[in-house]
Amino acid sequence: MGLIQKSQLKSPWVLHFDCGSCNGCDIEILAALTPKFDLERFGIVNIGDPKQADVLLVTGPANKRNHRVLKNLYNQMPQPKLVIAVGTCACTGGVFHNCPNVLGGVDNVVPVDVYVPGCAVRPEQIIDAVVLALNKLAGLAQSEEEE
Amino acid sequence: MAIYGQTLVALTVGLPVVSGLASLVLPGKTIRSVLVSVTALVLIGSSVSLLGISEFTYNPGHIYETAVLVLDFALLFYFLYVGMKSKSLPVIGLSLLQLVPVAYFEFVLHGVKVENILLVDRLSVFLVLIVNVVGSVVVVYALSYMEEHEHHLQLKESRQGRFFFFMLLLLGAMNGMVYSNSLYWLYFFWEITSLCCYELIRHDGTAEANTNAVTALWMALIGGVAFIGTMFVGYYTVGSIALTKIMTAQLTPILLVGFAFLALAAFSKSAQFPFHSWLLGAMVAPTPVSALLHSSTMVNAGIYLILRIAPALKGTYLSLVIAAVGAVTFTLTAILAIRQKVSKRVLAFSTIGNLGLIIMCAGINTSLSYTAAVILLFFHSISKGLLFMGAGVVENRINSRNIEDWEGLIGKLPFTTTVMLVGMATMFLPPFGMLLGKWVAVDAIISTPLAFALPIIILICIGSAATTFFWGKWLGYLTVTPMTAQKQVKETLPTPYRFAMMGLLAVSIVFSAGAPYIINNFVNPLIGEAYKLSVTSTLMEVNTGIGSFLVGPFWIATVAMVLLGVMITKKKGGVIVPAYLGGENVPEKPLMFFTTADGEAEASVSTVMLQSEIDEASLNKFAVIIGVLLIIVMFLVEVI
Amino acid sequence: MALNTSTIISIVFLAAMPFLGGILMGVDRRLTARMQNRMGPPLIQPFYDVLKLWAKEPYIANNIQPLMAFMYLGFAMLAASFVAFQLDLLLMLFTTALADICLIVAAFSAKSPYSYIGGRREFLVMLSYEPVLLLVEIAISLVTGTFIIKGIRAYETPLLLLLPAAYVVMQVVLVVEMKKSPFDVSGSAHAHQELVRGVYTEFSGYTMALVEVGHWVKVVTMLAIVGLFWAPNPFIGTALALALFVGAILIDNVYPRLSWQRMLKTTWTIGFGLVIVNLLALSFGGVI
Repeated sequence: MGLIQKSQLKSPWVLHFDCGSCNGCDIEILAALTPKFDLERFGIVNIGDPKQADVLLVTGPANKRNHRVLKNLYNQMPQPKLVIAVGTCACTGGVFHNCPNVLGGVDNVVPVDVYVPGCAVRPEQIIDAVVLALNKLAGLAQSEEEE
Repeated sequence: MAIYGQTLVALTVGLPVVSGLASLVLPGKTIRSVLVSVTALVLIGSSVSLLGISEFTYNPGHIYETAVLVLDFALLFYFLYVGMKSKSLPVIGLSLLQLVPVAYFEFVLHGVKVENILLVDRLSVFLVLIVNVVGSVVVVYALSYMEEHEHHLQLKESRQGRFFFFMLLLLGAMNGMVYSNSLYWLYFFWEITSLCCYELIRHDGTAEANTNAVTALWMALIGGVAFIGTMFVGYYTVGSIALTKIMTAQLTPILLVGFAFLALAAFSKSAQFPFHSWLLGAMVAPTPVSALLHSSTMVNAGIYLILRIAPALKGTYLSLVIAAVGAVTFTLTAILAIRQKVSKRVLAFSTIGNLGLIIMCAGINTSLSYTAAVILLFFHSISKGLLFMGAGVVENRINSRNIEDWEGLIGKLPFTTTVMLVGMATMFLPPFGMLLGKWVAVDAIISTPLAFALPIIILICIGSAATTFFWGKWLGYLTVTPMTAQKQVKETLPTPYRFAMMGLLAVSIVFSAGAPYIINNFVNPLIGEAYKLSVTSTLMEVNTGIGSFLVGPFWIATVAMVLLGVMITKKKGGVIVPAYLGGENVPEKPLMFFTTADGEAEASVSTVMLQSEIDEASLNKFAVIIGVLLIIVMFLVEVI
Repeated sequence: MALNTSTIISIVFLAAMPFLGGILMGVDRRLTARMQNRMGPPLIQPFYDVLKLWAKEPYIANNIQPLMAFMYLGFAMLAASFVAFQLDLLLMLFTTALADICLIVAAFSAKSPYSYIGGRREFLVMLSYEPVLLLVEIAISLVTGTFIIKGIRAYETPLLLLLPAAYVVMQVVLVVEMKKSPFDVSGSAHAHQELVRGVYTEFSGYTMALVEVGHWVKVVTMLAIVGLFWAPNPFIGTALALALFVGAILIDNVYPRLSWQRMLKTTWTIGFGLVIVNLLALSFGGVI
């Protein structure tokens, strides 16, 4: 594993976007950043700027009002980038499934790398999801090397 | 050798006057262009040739003395007439205050006889160089500008003949002034510059122009009255009105009052507090006028006078008060410049401030500070000429003087904006000459006694931070580039514009990089006449004994850095992505975002003015009060 | 220039400055975490961040921005070299200002409201610390009689004993320079996201990496100047610098952010007030 790739795995900066969740999952994301769970141990920083972010955490279902914002934020993130759908709503639309104006899970708009079910998700799950996503990134990189 | 020098002197004073008269009489644009261009070239050539001349004195002869006398009275009567016509009491009063004493001085005392009327030394040659090089470039620039200007005003009949007459006369008068050793001749040329300034400010003939021109006139006339004060002092104490005699005489309180009068004249000319309002009002004139007044002529007359008398005032309290006036002016104008909206007003405040800095340095009156003053004067003239010329072009192109309309100008006028950007950088950033001057100034301040230095240090600290602030924010604002402007428009400019701006830009950069050479060959010989040398400079560095400015390595490092930067960024390349606008960017329109109800709006930014934090009216009042107080102190301090 | 021992030391020091800065930032994040009862990231986390940023897909705002980001780092290094080669202190300050201007021009040129306002605030930050730092440097040279660092270091009495108030003022300057609370109005890595990332908003990938390293270098340069307060013994000098570094982190964690008006008032009153009192005391004591 090269130095650059190691750095990529050690320093995932997070952009959090709320697509219209009930705020339950958002609060759990914030909880994950607090001293008790201390996401910064893994180099995770909540950066708030798509141009510097590596991981997009989306909560809530995609809907007709904000899908273009989600798409835009995703497009403004430089490669390599990962998307994590946090919570049942973000995965499938959840309780909002088939509601008017709701498109369903966020994978209708942007490609999702890791799904985290739960209503609301637990901070441990979020941490686990980031680790999974990073493993995926590492795996991708390795398979590219093999080719 | 003497003949050669005298020819050059006659050429630099006479030629502008003659070709000015010619441009007044001869019709036609082509003739005028050729005339002005040739005059400019000859002036530059002869001022450069003068550098090789060693010091000499010169008496032009009786005819000229009589001519000066007659013209002087004609001038004073003209001022009186102007005062009556514009019903301005200060102008009437101040012209009478000159007419009567001058008549008494001439016809009763017969006091104007001086042995050596003209004196050409290092300082005058240096000033002539600045006046003619920068001044000529500005006059050439004016050829294009006035065409556009009159086109804008839709004049039926061109008034350019008159305009170029006064522009060239101003250059001639400036040259005459710096050669004069006789106070009377100095006074005469001084008054001609006042006349030119008055006529040029009111050139467009609007009501505002007339009012401001009269203000400028009466403030300039204060200087004239002060000169007469000095002449009387000189006559009664030393028995002569030759500057060389007065400078070398034993300092008595009365003689110091005479010097205080000269300082007062200098303040009025250089727009120091409380006389700063005339220079701000002068911007109603066409921009080349501002460029000429602010860079090489007019305001430099005051600086020249202060630099001329400073060596005689070493160690006096008068000198300290002069420094205080300069320091206060420098700091307050820097703060005031932050909140200005009009481009030429920002430049005007910066001019007043920098003149303040120069006067402060001259007032501190050590070898080091005098060096700083000369360096600052030199580089300020070049940069300010450049900036005003750029501002004039921009004004004619976007039809606005408001710098809030200059947002992202580099996309619209790439060439002119680049000139402006470099011009601004030369005003306050290393490794350019102005900063070198400021750096020497700081070194000079700390080598003076603390009781005096401490207030000045604090003023300088605040002033230079405010200077960085107002230049920086303006410079930055020009670079706010819309992404759409990536394919830059090609800017078409008339030849005189291009020539003038490129010329001064090149001069500015080359001289900044060659600052050690300038200091060795032009500044140090000039300092050496009055002080012990304190700045040593080799090809690479300028050393004050307190610090060392590595000019050469700094430039090499900067150039290397730019090249390396271009290489690396080229190699890395990149995809241009629209700005972050909260995710609501409108596709395909990089500057637009969706507002409520899917409306589209353009993202725009405004420049920072600190309008609510800086109270201009009360600061101005404070400036006038403190200026008047300091001038009163300046006259009282002789008693000590 | 002959390649003697002191030149080699200077070159090594200059080359080590970015790395020192990175480690210090790691220490900063670690210490902050400990103060908040967290573990915190590894010590070399800043290097991971920068390497990652360097390798990201290059997104730029326009063609000027990357060059300006590079110039920011470049001029920061040039300012650092004045310290490393023990040259003129005053010129170092002006060069730092030049670096700041490059950063702001890069931020402005993107025409993004967030980075633009961040840049404007960066100007206000400069306005609040520059005159104070200039005054401290002038105070140093008033005592030692020179602006050249070599000369300052040769001065026999430790400066801390003569200019204790100036040392305290350097704490304020360092907090501003490190972009720490309460003076972090222009852009910060913390949860204050009302301007997204402030002046850094439009940097991405390698441009951000350049800016980040430039910032490290500037912080180390400033700490090196603090070190001058006990020049005869470099170890005590380093300890003094580190003390202010830890002090800045402590202040960061204790104080909330101030508005720019209060930032300006605070830095100017503390900065000018303390240094003036100190200079007057020295003057009455007959030292200068």
